[in-house]
Amino acid sequence: MTTSMDRLVAAANGQIIDHIPVFCNLLDQGARELGLSIEDYFSKGEYVAEGQLRMLEKYGHDNVWSLFYVGKEAELFGCKKICYANDGPPNVEDFIIHSYDDIEKLQVPDDISTHPAFVETAKCLEILKREVGGKVPICAYLTASMSLPAILMSMEKWMELLMIGEPEVRDLLLEKCSNFFRKEIEAYRNAGADILVYADPYGSTDIIPMRVFKELSLKWMKRDLEPGGLEGVVYYVGGARLNSVAEQVINEVGINAYYPGPLDDIGESMRIVNNRALCAGVINDIRLLDWTPDEVRTEVQRIVQGGLQVSNKFFFGTVVMPYGIPDENIKAMINAAKEFGRLSLPASD
Amino acid sequence: MLDDVIKAYNEAVLDTDRALALQIVADAVAQGISPEDIVFKVVIPGLDLMVKAISEGFDTNLAQHFMTSQIAADVSERMLVLFKTPPEIVGQVIIGTAAGDLHTLGKRIVIGCLKAQMIEVTDLGVNVSAEKFVNEAVARKAQVIGVSAMMVHTARSENGALKVRQLLKERGLEHKIKLVVGGAPFRYDPELYKMVGADAWAENGVSALKVIMDCIKGVKA
Repeated sequence: MTTSMDRLVAAANGQIIDHIPVFCNLLDQGARELGLSIEDYFSKGEYVAEGQLRMLEKYGHDNVWSLFYVGKEAELFGCKKICYANDGPPNVEDFIIHSYDDIEKLQVPDDISTHPAFVETAKCLEILKREVGGKVPICAYLTASMSLPAILMSMEKWMELLMIGEPEVRDLLLEKCSNFFRKEIEAYRNAGADILVYADPYGSTDIIPMRVFKELSLKWMKRDLEPGGLEGVVYYVGGARLNSVAEQVINEVGINAYYPGPLDDIGESMRIVNNRALCAGVINDIRLLDWTPDEVRTEVQRIVQGGLQVSNKFFFGTVVMPYGIPDENIKAMINAAKEFGRLSLPASD
Repeated sequence: MLDDVIKAYNEAVLDTDRALALQIVADAVAQGISPEDIVFKVVIPGLDLMVKAISEGFDTNLAQHFMTSQIAADVSERMLVLFKTPPEIVGQVIIGTAAGDLHTLGKRIVIGCLKAQMIEVTDLGVNVSAEKFVNEAVARKAQVIGVSAMMVHTARSENGALKVRQLLKERGLEHKIKLVVGGAPFRYDPELYKMVGADAWAENGVSALKVIMDCIKGVKA
């Protein structure tokens, strides 16, 4: 029987076994599956793993997540205050860095795998590995050094430091974030994560000018990824657009999988990647809150056929998947991605 | 000479080069261009140019919006103290992030642009209740309430813009105070602003300037 991992490996080689891999970022929804509040759900690795496995069973997509919420990385730096909502993702409430002096004092944990803030994530990964390891790709979310400061000091203060602050202070922070990243990716790999989502919205020219991308994003990207290598790494720019930087990341960093933003033109993304790597077709999943299942199906058809027209090194993906998306729309999306992802259209020039 | 200053200033802003923009302004003032002309003939038209460029599809980024706003606010603040007479205040705006939302960057960009345009802004900070938005707007005779939300659940929350609208309606203030929203969820769903009861939305912090100016004019008309 074909597994999700088989599908992913096939896609990476430009082949489709039964359908393209269908990745779905279902996170907070696990709380609803278990009948827990979002705060309770994210309090234990067992809950998160159970939520992921139940959703895998229910929706039949091709990945599971070890991500609780993005602010977990701030907790590894000592953040103690997370703001929980009833109907959305938790957020960092108290930033670790309040002033530039705090950057000097910022401590990168020696060993992330034994850090108290990683214990529940490790438990989650252990369960996922035991239950579906080798059969279903286990995803981890790791924020790039260029983007991590946004959750340590706020987007506003990071933009200020990046654009008008002292370069020495900026670089000290980036170096600490990069050191953290290197340890974090090692910890996740050792704990059983297969797919390392390298999250770098500040590696998109929707956020920063091309000059800054060339001077800083590329440089720090190389440093982040150098020791552990590129195995399983996916370049992810969140809701931002990828196309303007994809060529440079492929040429200079050599990452083997790309996750464009939902506002990127998928045909253009696939043509830029040009069979040199795996590339996702990503749906604007905020619209799933209000679309009908038929509208969801039509949009998935557009994305999947748009991608497969160029190459079979293609998979389907989502971004934020808001908590309030109706169940029938999640099912409609995943089913449509499988249905249209079976069709291997002739590649166009 | 003013034309050269305008051109050089706009290029510096587009290049996100704050130091150069400030130097161009300082040199211009030293050469006899009045602080009033710097604000009304260089800074404000520069903002308008950026708004127009974005509306016509010119590809800009968040850092450019941030720097456009910061440079405009910086220069205006430096020039205002040199004005012969205080400028006329164009309008009053109350701004903050929606209940449950802690993201401040978009709000800061909007505030910088508004201040440069001689609009008085009251920043209520983050995680602002609907009651506070409306009470402050009434107290300060504001024409516009700006609600910023970066997350889907705070943009659509019953305690956010939706409740501001409800309170404006209950208190009979809808003709006096307009509600403007902004933030990522609105960019990914351009019809969302109607669902949350807003009068208008802005795709980014710089474009918010025109949207809010139009609302102020509408209320004052």
